[in-house]
Amino acid sequence: MKNYDTLLNDLAPQKFGRAGIIWTWSLVIISIIGIIAYIDQIIKGQEVTNMHDYALWGIYISNFVFFVATSFVGTLTVAVLRLTHNSWRTPIVRIAEIISLAAIIMAGITIMIDMGRPDRLLYLFIHGRMQSPIIWDVIIIPTYIVISLLLLYFPLLPDLAILKSHFKEKNPTLSKWYGKLSLNWVGSSKQKKIQIKSIQIIAVLIIPAGFILQTIDAWLFSTLFRVGWDSTNMGAYFVSGASVAGIGALVTVVYVIRKAYNLEAYITDFHFDKLGKFLVLTCLIYLYFNINEYLIPEFTSKKEEITHVNVLFSGEYAPLFWFVIIGGLIIPIIVLLFKQGRKPFPMFLIGLLVVVGSWWKRYLIVTPTLLHPFLPIQGVPESWHHYFPSLHEWAITIATLTMALLIITMLVRYLPIIPIQRTADEHEILKTTKKNES
Amino acid sequence: MKNTLKFHFLFLAFLSISIASSVFQNLNAQNNEKHKVRMQAYYFKIMDSVSYLNIKASSKINKKNTRISNIEISVFNLQEDEQVKLGSAITNNQGESRFIIKNLNFLKPDSTGIYTVLISFKGNSSFKKSSKKITFKNVDLEAILVKKNNINYINATLLNKSNETPVIDEPLTLRVQRLFKPLILGDELSMTDEKGTILTPIEEGIPGVHGNLIIEVVLNESDDYGTVIDLVKAPIGVPIVDESTFDQRTMWSPRSKTPIFLLIIPNILTFAMWGIIIYLIINLFKITTP
Repeated sequence: MKNYDTLLNDLAPQKFGRAGIIWTWSLVIISIIGIIAYIDQIIKGQEVTNMHDYALWGIYISNFVFFVATSFVGTLTVAVLRLTHNSWRTPIVRIAEIISLAAIIMAGITIMIDMGRPDRLLYLFIHGRMQSPIIWDVIIIPTYIVISLLLLYFPLLPDLAILKSHFKEKNPTLSKWYGKLSLNWVGSSKQKKIQIKSIQIIAVLIIPAGFILQTIDAWLFSTLFRVGWDSTNMGAYFVSGASVAGIGALVTVVYVIRKAYNLEAYITDFHFDKLGKFLVLTCLIYLYFNINEYLIPEFTSKKEEITHVNVLFSGEYAPLFWFVIIGGLIIPIIVLLFKQGRKPFPMFLIGLLVVVGSWWKRYLIVTPTLLHPFLPIQGVPESWHHYFPSLHEWAITIATLTMALLIITMLVRYLPIIPIQRTADEHEILKTTKKNES
Repeated sequence: MKNTLKFHFLFLAFLSISIASSVFQNLNAQNNEKHKVRMQAYYFKIMDSVSYLNIKASSKINKKNTRISNIEISVFNLQEDEQVKLGSAITNNQGESRFIIKNLNFLKPDSTGIYTVLISFKGNSSFKKSSKKITFKNVDLEAILVKKNNINYINATLLNKSNETPVIDEPLTLRVQRLFKPLILGDELSMTDEKGTILTPIEEGIPGVHGNLIIEVVLNESDDYGTVIDLVKAPIGVPIVDESTFDQRTMWSPRSKTPIFLLIIPNILTFAMWGIIIYLIINLFKITTP
């Protein structure tokens, strides 16, 4: 059992070491390269991309869907685990909130990148139709950003007050900032009452918001009469896919932070075991939806859909498709079913595999369908039959991913990644229980 | 030796100039070659409406049949030894033009009732002059809708106007006007009887706007009479139900016609969520207050 000072020293934000600084600067440099590519795209137009009349949604939309999916981790781990009273969530919950916030912010930015000129966003408000899922997306994304921010902020208040005192002598400037952000938190019963009530409201609110967000994202596709998209399964399929992407990202980030900050005493094998079980459950559900999505059309679909499915099963996209299914779902399920597979390092590798698989899965959802339009494909340029992102698209997309990591890195640097007050309270309760038992 | 060389040089120079000039002459001649113009004209008469000539001009250029646009074609009525100019028409991009005969009474037939019209192109720098003579007799086609034993028929009579006699054994076609091209009714042509008449049943169930059908009775491209058409408005069709959703509030209509439920539900959800968010932000202020 750790005493309060040790706990505070362990959990208070720490300066980055050499590796942390290199990591941060690497992210900054890649982000700058991406920003330069984006400026060039604004100047020259989207001709710098490899998108064309058929593949009019390219890697940007795949990336957007990936970010939206990853942001679902906030809904899952924070809200669902809180409402089901899973107390093991404590050390991972803030990391999930941070990932969720970073992902949804970058989702909003990515969709603006896809629009070409960013001022076109205004057109959505001027000319947008309420019948269009794009408008619903425009409404739900800022809403989810604000809810995610509040979900991160409310539980932080006691910790910010603690950090204000903790850094008072060590770093007065930082202490001042923590003081401002803690909103004069003194831990009075009135403040605690308002805070707890607010957190409960957000925990409930983020569930419909998260489900609406994922479902709208699915409806962007399923409301179009396109092979591979025209499916009533899409909403649930996207929610389950988002759970996999979110938990995969959480596992990976939790492992890295645990390693970097030496938090083995707080984020234990037990937590990885629990996360592993959670991940395997989401993977199984997603695999079930994938079977529904791909196997049934093989029996029942018309020629266009058969062509599309065959392109995925044995055609141009087969290597990627089978990597996503086997690498991103089946291998994680098999490994995570064993206790040894749910140890931290195997979990990290599996998490990484799941995240990479999830990203490419979005690419497979978007691109092959676009390359199989209902319009006659004869007499169009040969290049329209294929799509692979240009250098600009890769630079910008990688930059959005690094920017998301940069947001996570900055928040990890300045915020307590494991809730200090709550951990202390839990340790206190544990100590009291043990005393009473003896 | 020197003189011989000079002679050879002069001879070669003379030969070159001769060959060159003959080649250029040939080329020039080729460029100035005028193409023959092929003219076609068809007489049309729409009963109770207009009569006109459909004129087409084409030419074979580089072994390809090419339509000639923007040439002026004069139209004359041949009256015994006299040519009376009726007017002129200019061909469009398709090499076609329509010459409206404002009043058939201005044209004079011969003693057998045959009208002779000459269309003439006087030629230009590219095309030779050309002309075409067509003849036709003036006939009237009168069609009416009749109903016998609950079956609708078209009764049409073809009458030679010059001697007011029925036109016998001429094929008439029945068709219904449609948006792009007429729909022909029945498989066989109806031949006019000794009274110059046909009686053809109209099949049931033909759709029409408000149940109205415009039935065309057509004497088509007759050598003697040209094309004669009479239109009959027949309220015997099956009314077309307008399935357009243009004025309705649908999922695919513009923003001004958004379905009401889509205005209500998303707005309720949005306001509810943002209402809670505002409440939470107020809670932050409450926490700040000592």
